[in-house]
Amino acid sequence: MRNVDMRTELGELILRNPVVTSSGTYGFGEEYAPYCPVSILGGITVKGITPLPRLGNPVPRLAETPSGLLNSVGLENPGLVEFRNSYLPKLALLDTAVIVNISGFSPDDYTLLASSFQKKDTGIAALEVNISCPNIKHGGMAFGTNPRSAEEVIEAVKKNTDLPVIAKLSPNVTDIVEMAKAVESGGADIISLINTLLGMSIDIQTQKPLLANKMGGLSGPAVRPVAVRMVYQVYEAVGLPIVGMGGISTWQDAVEFMLAGASAVSIGTVNFVNPLAPVDILNGIEEYCLKKGYRSVREIVGLAHE
Amino acid sequence: MYLKVRVIENRSIGHPAQGIFRLVLSGQAAKIAKPGQFLHIQVSDTYDPLLRRPLSIAGIDKNKEEITIYYKLLGRGTDLLTHFKENDYLSIMGPLGSEFTVPQQGELLLIAGGIGIFPLYSLIQAIDQEKVKIHLLWGGENIDFLESADLKYLVNSGVNVKISTMDGSLGHKGLVTDLLQEMVQDSSMIALRCNNLVSAACGPKGMLKATAEICLNNDIPLEVSLEERMACGIGACLGCVCTVRGADGTVKRKRVCKEGPVFRAKEVVWDAEC
Repeated sequence: MRNVDMRTELGELILRNPVVTSSGTYGFGEEYAPYCPVSILGGITVKGITPLPRLGNPVPRLAETPSGLLNSVGLENPGLVEFRNSYLPKLALLDTAVIVNISGFSPDDYTLLASSFQKKDTGIAALEVNISCPNIKHGGMAFGTNPRSAEEVIEAVKKNTDLPVIAKLSPNVTDIVEMAKAVESGGADIISLINTLLGMSIDIQTQKPLLANKMGGLSGPAVRPVAVRMVYQVYEAVGLPIVGMGGISTWQDAVEFMLAGASAVSIGTVNFVNPLAPVDILNGIEEYCLKKGYRSVREIVGLAHE
Repeated sequence: MYLKVRVIENRSIGHPAQGIFRLVLSGQAAKIAKPGQFLHIQVSDTYDPLLRRPLSIAGIDKNKEEITIYYKLLGRGTDLLTHFKENDYLSIMGPLGSEFTVPQQGELLLIAGGIGIFPLYSLIQAIDQEKVKIHLLWGGENIDFLESADLKYLVNSGVNVKISTMDGSLGHKGLVTDLLQEMVQDSSMIALRCNNLVSAACGPKGMLKATAEICLNNDIPLEVSLEERMACGIGACLGCVCTVRGADGTVKRKRVCKEGPVFRAKEVVWDAEC
């Protein structure tokens, strides 16, 4: 008998279960629909949106590394207007929580983006603020590595939207706790982490970087221990609910993140290998709770702490 | 489709040193596969290597429900793929991507560079050669490669084949685009063009760019099958884009896995600086 309550609370954002998909790995929700019904998912996070359309970086944008993937897509996206006109109406029809990821190059960009998405926009559950993209030359990660700018950006977003605000943190910092405290002061409702780790790969035959953009963001199972550590540290230091991500590929990985302090888990790179991974992970978490005698998935959050 | 398919055959063909393999898979994917499409194949059940491998479809047998793929042993992924044996199961996604236009009458010119011949096999197979005359220009390193990549099949298939090799061991010594240049300048070209000549090509980027220039300068419609490093295979990750110029002149990206791998050559921007 299935009697585990899988509902997940991230402050005022309530998800039907703790499994969501990560921005940049799940397109705009329609790509994976033939493989994995979105109605099973707790939510999806769409590709990062910037005020203006972006072509992104040149190819090659991808390099495979041991149990990992470097990418330098560079925030290719249709821009705010096109997103609202062409994509949002379709997203609103999906039977799952839709998290819109926004990305800017100045505080004004974030103000504009935040003010464009409100609760009255049916179909949007929350805004995830990307202050941590490693693949653009100006802005992006700069906001995510300086606590004061991170706080300012989150403040600007909070002031301009009534939706729950998720601050997505970059792992490319010396002290993740300092960043978490900064976005908490800025008014973030939820913290998600980690974004990709800045990395590089060089072709020893051509003796040049494999990525056209030279450097890129590392994701996949290779980054998982770093992500678990950061989720654990942030959980200890701030009171905000956490969406944990970084290389989650199995239900065991997801449980590990929840024990570290994540209320929800976000599934990214593994979708490329196994489009049904979110379903397997969801079933595995439920089974784990059942076997361990928990009546609610919320009970296992943070259990790794004293 | 996302499913496990049975391996019917997976073996080295031709000269072993060339590392060319033929993989035959059983399953319903054959029912809906079209020439030019690809399968996204999981070569390992661990996460190292992490990603699936996109391999183009070379043969489709709808009645026997079989798909044939040729691949060249190049790295860890293809090496792992060689270890699958008859009756093993492989996880595939697909058929994925866009397809070649299959002409119903007239003349079809195919230009292949190296292993770029493989997706063109599926197009040749789909053509009714009673109605469409196929001319193939194929360039490779040497005769050993061409024999290993199934030159005999082509010769037996009734296709009009012209060969170039880099070392001169078979056919013209030089590039396949030399053959193309020669062909478009030949007087016999007029007859072909009067008979609805269309073309398709696959090969390395430099070869495709040169091919596109010659074909477009001579008003020969050309489709190209592009290759790019790929992750998801279904258009979600934006890893494998190519740059195209829209009818209005603006530059855009398209996804090689989703809108491609087959594109109209006239829309492709070969030396995108962005």
